[in-house]
Amino acid sequence: MPVHLPQPKQLRDLLADLLGRDVTLTPSAPFAPGPDTPASVALYVDDSLRISALIACDLAFSAYAGAALGLIPVGDATAAVGDGKVTDAISENLYEVLNIAASTFNVAGADHLRLHALHPAGPPLDPQVRISTLTLGRREDLAVDIAGYGAGLLSVVLL
Amino acid sequence: MKILIADDSRVMRQIVIRTLRQAGHGGHDIVEAENGRQALEMVQSEAPDLVLSDWNMPEMNGIDCLSALRASGSQVAFGFVTSEGSEEMRERAASAGAAFLIAKPFTPEAFDDALRSVI
Repeated sequence: MPVHLPQPKQLRDLLADLLGRDVTLTPSAPFAPGPDTPASVALYVDDSLRISALIACDLAFSAYAGAALGLIPVGDATAAVGDGKVTDAISENLYEVLNIAASTFNVAGADHLRLHALHPAGPPLDPQVRISTLTLGRREDLAVDIAGYGAGLLSVVLL
Repeated sequence: MKILIADDSRVMRQIVIRTLRQAGHGGHDIVEAENGRQALEMVQSEAPDLVLSDWNMPEMNGIDCLSALRASGSQVAFGFVTSEGSEEMRERAASAGAAFLIAKPFTPEAFDDALRSVI
């Protein structure tokens, strides 16, 4: 079965419901982290444990989405952006955001995916994971603005 | 009533508790477990009236926890709160003996509807 590429509306509705805030999505250039770019990458596996998709987020989205989920003050999120890495609390929350985001892949007739691992923004990315974020083809590249927190980049990439 | 919330995410347990309150079910005694194995033990030690469980958890997942509970003779009311909302998962949950499945992200209304079916 094919893997379903989540549509922007699915992602918007999911984030808005989950974070309890207005979320605005706009198309963006693909998020392509370089070797020194802080980026979070969530890897999703199918039922055969094959890595089939990933969601890559820049540091800003990582910090704002993770903070918004747990009602962590926006100042803490902004400080994390300044530090170039997310805190453990924000990372734990971001894991949950991207865990629930797995549901956007799981539509009728598509492969069932679930979150396998999250590399939180800050430490250098495994080169193989970073290169996977640069995959062209079936992907969705979005700028995401979370009301009350801020804007960042999110890319869904099918592998 | 006593409600056991099983989820490996601390923030998600907090969100479930907050949503219960928003849904008008704030007065209950809440206990928490971090995975299915702990939930299984706590059903014995805490005797909750209802278990609200995530599906994917380390150590033991929610569906295995439910199956183990039923195999041991426990008839505790059990509902899933999970990102697994497909029809297939709902059918698996129901056939294993779950009373309901609430898909994440959820609303207070979804909680109220589900809880009224078991309270």
